[in-house]
Amino acid sequence: MITVKNLQKSFGKNQVLRGIDAEIKQGEVVVVIGPSGSGKSTFLRCLNRLEDVTGGEILFEGQPITDKKHNIDKTREKMGMVFQQFNLFPHKTVLENITLAPIKLQNVSRSEADKRAETLLQSVGLADKKNAYPAQLSGGQKQRIAIVRALAMQPHVMLFDEPTSALDPEMVGEVLDVMKKLAEDGMTMVIVTHEMGFAREVGDRIIFMDGGVIVEEGTPDQVFGAPKNARTQDFLGKVL
Amino acid sequence: MFRLKKIAFTMLALLMLLLAIHPGYGQASAESASGTDGQKTITVGLSADFAPYEFRITVDGKSKIVGSDVMIAEQIAADMGAQLKIEDIAFDSLIPALQSGRIDMIISGMTPTDERRQNVDFSDLYYTSRQVILTRAEDADKYKTMAALDGETIGVQSGSIQEEIANGIPNAKVTSVKSISDVVSQLTSGRVNVAVFEGPVAEAQVKNRKGLAIADAVPEDSDTPMAIAVAKGNTELVAEINKTLTRLNAEKAVDGYIQQANEMNSGETAPSNIFSFFWKYRGFYADGVKYTLLLSALGVLFGFLIGLLIALLRLSGVKILKWIAVAYTEVLRGTPMLVQLLIIHYGIATAFDIKFTVLQSGIITLSINSSAYLAEIFRAGIQGVDKGQMEAARSLGMPRGMAMRTIIIPQAIKSVLPAIGNEFVVIIKESSIVSFIGVADLMFQANAVRTLTYSGLYPLVIAAGIYLIMTLILSKLLNVFERRLSAGDNR
Repeated sequence: MITVKNLQKSFGKNQVLRGIDAEIKQGEVVVVIGPSGSGKSTFLRCLNRLEDVTGGEILFEGQPITDKKHNIDKTREKMGMVFQQFNLFPHKTVLENITLAPIKLQNVSRSEADKRAETLLQSVGLADKKNAYPAQLSGGQKQRIAIVRALAMQPHVMLFDEPTSALDPEMVGEVLDVMKKLAEDGMTMVIVTHEMGFAREVGDRIIFMDGGVIVEEGTPDQVFGAPKNARTQDFLGKVL
Repeated sequence: MFRLKKIAFTMLALLMLLLAIHPGYGQASAESASGTDGQKTITVGLSADFAPYEFRITVDGKSKIVGSDVMIAEQIAADMGAQLKIEDIAFDSLIPALQSGRIDMIISGMTPTDERRQNVDFSDLYYTSRQVILTRAEDADKYKTMAALDGETIGVQSGSIQEEIANGIPNAKVTSVKSISDVVSQLTSGRVNVAVFEGPVAEAQVKNRKGLAIADAVPEDSDTPMAIAVAKGNTELVAEINKTLTRLNAEKAVDGYIQQANEMNSGETAPSNIFSFFWKYRGFYADGVKYTLLLSALGVLFGFLIGLLIALLRLSGVKILKWIAVAYTEVLRGTPMLVQLLIIHYGIATAFDIKFTVLQSGIITLSINSSAYLAEIFRAGIQGVDKGQMEAARSLGMPRGMAMRTIIIPQAIKSVLPAIGNEFVVIIKESSIVSFIGVADLMFQANAVRTLTYSGLYPLVIAAGIYLIMTLILSKLLNVFERRLSAGDNR
């Protein structure tokens, strides 16, 4: 579904990604781990071109989305993204946050969009919050709404950028539960996270990044159980 | 950038609408005498604070310009078979107005000096007046000869023949102000000790205002002839005017006109209580408030739209657009609004032959001036919105323009609303500047009442009170609006 070829990204003179090759298949849950500054968030943000790439190529469903002529807006409709800081729209209600993009971009009628939103809200247990404003919600609730907002566009893949890092510990579970359910339903997902337990339980494949390159990748059992690379061993030794 | 195009288009449409506002609308005084539709019009410029030549009186609660010069103008128009239109313009702006083609002639007690002859053409003389020295009654004895004026503080109207006379007095400290009533205020408030005045004008002041007297000193060469000014090279019009003047001279009509005008000028007695004063002249203030509100509202509306556009250009990331936006804001914020107003009203008319009406010039000036300040406010607001908002909107597939419009700008405007409100209040106050070119706004009407009543204080205090009430009401309304918008904030 997503093919990354020799991806490079620099911020000025600082090269953050130094040639990454990766393949994400339909229905696969890929978890990207690594120390801070390893380039994992930048890698994720390049996938929907929130960061313009410096070199290399990304194909999404066969199309080269890194091509300058490619209409990235259309592609982004198929790639949902969830941010560390939620980024809900504070001047809109929960329902408006969710229905805005489908109505504006996919010509979905208001009633249809509302119905879709309510079903999704139901599934994350927040049906009663539809008329609330983001400022009235807890962090965990906000992040669940943010996931629903992305899902309302019926994306083919979901990108998660450290979705639980800004949450109080007692709220991490409720967000991870939603993500787990999503994975079980067969959603293709790329997740950058520090939740190693979750990565091991839900991930189909683990990518360990350090210094702007993929150091090691494999099944959770391979990477967590028997890491081959010294840097992987060192990192896991510190976090586990 | 699709959205930008739409904003620009809407603005253009609104501007057209603005230009379509009837040309005479909002003019200080578009009064017409004799004549019906379909006739040609002749526009006469004068500075209506020069009784008995030209001044304002109240007729049925409405302000009307009368005086001997007006009667002459009526005769000229009648002889030409034209409809007369009078524009009240500050004296020192009369010649620019004539040069820019806004008016056809000046009949405002104007003396044909050599300097003026370089810029305009004059008709034959129609009256010769003398100059006198006006002073406070208790000081009248001090100034028996012109020698006593050596080194004295002298008030005059700027751009007038009296200014030249005053400048010729040895060691004189001359203060030039805009209107005759300002000169008198200078005198009564002790800022100057004497003022050089046209004889009949001084007599009218002495008659209507306590505490003034004409001194014995008489300026040398004080005979000042008056003539009618027309645009340079307009010999046809001069000939027509001279025909009428020859007739009036033969009939010895002008002396009679001055007599008549002097009689008209003695009717006004202003109440001494400020509330009854206000009540008597409420019609003036009501008219003024209408224009002040119209000007401010349109100024703010266009200023808002243009300012938003400029802010977006500045943040567009395209170098040339950014540069244009920076230049626009810097120029407009770095130059006085009065200069901008005069350039738009007179300068553009002279250079490009585009004649905005006074109201249009006023609205355009207020719009572009406030747009520069609002652009900076918007820029701060847009830059203050969390970066994650744009990223979230883009990640959902929204194009940049849509994200700006639906996500960023609403949040930006909300956060800068107090600053915008402040700018609105500023515009209401600053709009008073348009009285300079003759828009009949609140300030203009206050000045008209001053001239009319020979009262220096009340008309201004009342105007100040009305400005204050308007700005206070606006602040309150904005508070309510802000509270409405704060839905979604922490509570």
